[in-house]
This record gives sequence, C-alpha cells and structure tokens, in this order.
Amino acid sequence: MTLGDILKESWLSISGNKLRSFLTVLGIIIGVMAVVIMVAVGETVQQSISDQFSSLGTNTIVIRAGAARRGGIRSGNRNTLTITDAEQIRRLPDVMSITPAQSGSAQVIYGNKNWSTLMLGTYPDYTVIQDIEMETGTFFDLTAVKNAATYAVIGPDTARELGLPDNPVGEIIRIQNMPFVVIGVMKARGDSAFGSQDDMIIIPITTLKKRLQGSKFPDSVTMVALKIYPDADNAMVTDQINSLLRQRHRLKDGDEDDFQITDMKQIMETMDTVTGYLKLLLIAIAAVSLLVGSIGIMNMMLVSVVERTREIGIRKAVGARERVIIIQFLAESVLISFIGSMFGLAFGVGISQGVGRLILKYNVPFSIWPVILSVSVAVIVGLASGVMPALRAAKLNPIDSLRYE
Amino acid sequence: MKNNPPVISLKKICKIFPLEIGGVQQVLFDISFTIDAGEFVAIMGPSGSGKSTCMNIIGALDSASTGVYELYGKDITTMTPDELATIRNEYIGFVFQNFNLLPKRNILDNVMLPLMYRGITPDDRNRRAREMLELVGLNKFEAYLPTQLSGGMKQRVAIARALSGNPKLILADEPTGSLDSKMGNEILRFFKKLNSDIGITIVIITHEFEIAQYARRVIHIYDGRITYDGPVPKTENVLLKSEQRHKK
Repeated sequence: MTLGDILKESWLSISGNKLRSFLTVLGIIIGVMAVVIMVAVGETVQQSISDQFSSLGTNTIVIRAGAARRGGIRSGNRNTLTITDAEQIRRLPDVMSITPAQSGSAQVIYGNKNWSTLMLGTYPDYTVIQDIEMETGTFFDLTAVKNAATYAVIGPDTARELGLPDNPVGEIIRIQNMPFVVIGVMKARGDSAFGSQDDMIIIPITTLKKRLQGSKFPDSVTMVALKIYPDADNAMVTDQINSLLRQRHRLKDGDEDDFQITDMKQIMETMDTVTGYLKLLLIAIAAVSLLVGSIGIMNMMLVSVVERTREIGIRKAVGARERVIIIQFLAESVLISFIGSMFGLAFGVGISQGVGRLILKYNVPFSIWPVILSVSVAVIVGLASGVMPALRAAKLNPIDSLRYE
Repeated sequence: MKNNPPVISLKKICKIFPLEIGGVQQVLFDISFTIDAGEFVAIMGPSGSGKSTCMNIIGALDSASTGVYELYGKDITTMTPDELATIRNEYIGFVFQNFNLLPKRNILDNVMLPLMYRGITPDDRNRRAREMLELVGLNKFEAYLPTQLSGGMKQRVAIARALSGNPKLILADEPTGSLDSKMGNEILRFFKKLNSDIGITIVIITHEFEIAQYARRVIHIYDGRITYDGPVPKTENVLLKSEQRHKK
C-alpha cells in the first residue's frame, strides 16, 4: 500500500461522511485557532512590555530616594539622594551617563491655554539615558543647568495641548507663573512603563529646585538615573553604587538603605518570566478546547470503526493485515486533525493579525511558534486520538466483521 | 516427477466454540478431505450443519481447534492473523452471498482492493482490474458504485475481485443466495466456465442440490461430519440417505 493509497483511502472515508467529518474538524479548528490566538495575545503582551522597558534600555539603572520598606510599609521618597551623589556615581568606571532628576506637576500657560502636566528637572544626560530625539530645537546644556536657566523642552502632546505653533522654539510659556523659553520639542515616543513620555516638560534640575520649588535643600533629588556601558555588568555596578551611597550616607552595618536601586535588566528579566507564565497560562486554557477537539476525533473514529465493521471485515478477507488497518485508521485521524489544524492556524493567524493591525492598530508579532505547534498538534492529536480506534479495528475478527449488520 | 500438493488438505479438523452461557459446542468432527487443483467441489449441507464453519477454515478466515489444514502444502493451522491475511490475499478469492463490496468505492477500486494489499503498483493493478472487469463483462461500469448495479452485476464484480489476485482457489459461499434463479444460473455457468477454461479450483458452499449439480464433486456435511464425498449424484436422495445413515 503506497502513501498515495493511504491518503486516498483516508480522504474517501472522511469525505464519505461530510457533515460528521466537518463537525469533527471544527473541534480541531476551534482548538488550534484558540491556541494560535492565545499565543499571539501572549506574545503581544510580552512584546509590548518589552518595548516599553527597552525604551529605557537594559543598561539603565534608576536610584530612588528613600528606603524600600520600613516596618513592612514603603516609607516614601525622602530626599536622601543628592546631585552630589550623582556626581560621585558618575566617577564609577562603568557609568556612561548620569542625571539626577526630580519630578513634579506643573500648571503651564500659553496664551489663553492652560494645561496641567508632568514636569521633570534633569541634566542634559537625560537625553542619552532616555534616548530622546528632538523634533525641533535643542535640549538644554550644562551651562543652562549651571545658570538655572528658564529653558523648557516640551513633549509633542504638551505642545499640541497648549496650542503652540508648529515650530514653538522661542515661544514663551508660563510654568507656575514663571516665564520659560521653549527651546525644543521632543519626538513622539508613545507610552513607557512610567507613563506618557509625550506629555511632559523637562527643565534644568537647578531651575526646578531653586526657581520653581524654592527648595531648602536644592541639592536633594528624588531620583538619579544612569546608563552604564553596554558591556558592563549590571549587578556589579549596582553593588558599587550601593556601597558608594551607603558610605556617602554614612549608613552603618545593619542599617537599611535609604535609597532603592532598580536595575532595568533585572526588571525586564522578571517581566519576561511573568509574561512567559502568562503566555503559558493562556495556551493552557486554549489547549483545553484542543483537548475537547481531539476527544471529538477519537469519538468519531470509534463510531467509524463500529459503522465500518463490515468494511474492515471485507478488507481483512481480501488480505489487509492488522498493520495496514491500523495505518489506515491512524491516517484518517491524522488527516482530520491536519485539516483542522491548518484551517485553525489560518483562521487564528488571520484573526490575531487582523484584529491587531486593523482594529487595535498594533503590530502583532508573527512567530513560527503557532505553525510548529499546529503541525505538531495535527500529528500528535491525530495519532493519540486514532490509536485506540485503530487498534480496535485491527483486532476485529474477520468472520464476525463480515457477519456484522 | 514430483506430484503437486493438493490445493486443500484437511486432516481430522475439529472446531469447538465456547458458548456465552458457559460450556462449549463442537460444530466440526474430524473433517478430512483433499481437493486437488482444477476441481469444482460443492460443500453441501443443511443450515447449521457446519458447512460455513468449514468454509471459514478453508478460507483462512478462522482456525481449526484441532487437526491440520494444509493449503498448497503449507500448514496454515498455526499461522498468525497477519500470515493468514497474506494467505487469503495470495491464494484465495472469495465470493460471498451478499457480495461484500465496499459501497463507497467504485467498481474498479473494489476489484483492485486485493491487489492494493499485495503491494502491486497502481498502474499494474489498474490494468489487471480492467482485464478482470472485461472478463466478467463489466468493463463499461468501472466508475459505477456497487449501489448502482443489479445483484447479478454486483456478484460479477465480486468474482472479478476474487479473480484479480490470480488465486489458486475460488471460495464461493452461497453465491446465488441473493440472486434470482436466472441470475444465479448465469453466475454458476460462469464459475463452470472459469473452472473448465482456466482450470481454477472452485469450492462452492451451498444448501441447494441444484446448485451443487454444477460441480463435479460433492462433500456433504451433516451435524459437523462428512456423510458423503464423491461425484455429484443424480438425485438428492443419495445425500439425504447419507444423512439418515449418519443419524442411525
């Protein structure tokens, strides 16, 4: 019996009972489609989170002021970090660029427009750490920081909300009633893990601390962000920063850190693990429908064995060996499963890509995963659900089969 | 010169069936006979006599409980189910009362079936099946489904299928049972022609003396025992008397 014979026999048997075969195939289509869509959802979530974190870069380390916990409760941001701390950290050999940063909210006025947004005081190095590119104008330099210049770099959404002209460089806006010159507009970047990056105003940190906040501690900041060289070891640099800050803050052995160091690489790895589990969970849920589909095949094949008892008897009478009967029934269940899997794959990819691109306007990542999965499922489910019926068919006694009505 | 072995050689064949209610029932008792190549034999007997069981054993569809069955000199008594399948495929062509054609396969596919299991290439089996359909006069019906044919045509398809594998033996179990007398006679004449022209060995299982008359030898079975084995008698009385002798 050639492969062509096996396929022909299988196809004739399947097509000989169209409605039942269609309903059985439908079970596999739904199962595989569900798995493919769930894989796509999982990968999209993973990709989306990864994109947001990678906008900060895996070689980014963020230090926040304040202990992580005190008596089980987060103690909040105390101003235990200073610009001088940042300057000292800059001296570490693996640090590529660093900026102290202080955030706050700002009421901004331009003409008759009034807009409330996030305000951030930083160093020029912030552009390196955040990979900021300018749409128009420039970012402020260290001289502006030194002089606490009233320069503002704004996000594209802020510019739009304030109704600024297309090229707003040189326009005067008022932040907390203090006039600032817009010196640049950042390129749109979308949302990050820390909120929108397009609706914010960045000013020199000294301007924020001294002019706007009138702080009693102009040196203190809530955050220091730094980027290390790509080949540097995140864990080692984190240890060095920890030691340096503990020494500078005169913390004794046993004292809790009065700062928190967040390593983006570590966060990304954790997020990867979490989203990986999420993906597995989604696939596991979808796999249940696939299991139901495969039980459908087994059910159909078992019914088929009973219905075709006489046919099996005829085949055996004219010389079909047990192995041939087994192969024929297995081929039928694999073929049903294969047809279902291919349709399920096509529908799954079509729906996930269609919904992602046309409705959600999101580039759903296409991976080879569902294809491999579908083909594997076709073979495994087909074989698994066909084994029992095939063995039952093969073991039928030819005389009893020929007498079967 | 070495003599050819008989096509069929049964030696002291017994068949015992277990009963569902417990216990056993013996349906064949020490059946022994040989059938040589080119013979046309009718195995006759009333319903329940054991002739169908005998046919199942001869057709390698069932095994004897005791005794030895040699087909063309090969002892097939102890063969595995797969070995028996090969024997059936290579040595025996079956013609059943109810035709036993695959209803969803066309006539050509049905005739090719034994050849497919023998591993013959699609081209060769196509050619051979068409030759057989021509032999039985159905070459124009190869694309038809069995359900589209009359009973006589179906039986001719079954004969074509039985002949397609070029068997040593044709085993026909009540081959005219589902046909009217005209069709039945036509089929039996065809068997006779096959036997005389090609020399193929034919064994017909029947309970009708009229049918047995087409054969040259009758083996009469009654209550699981052979009561007559010889040339076809002129009247059925000879066979009935043999039954009476057995009863005594």
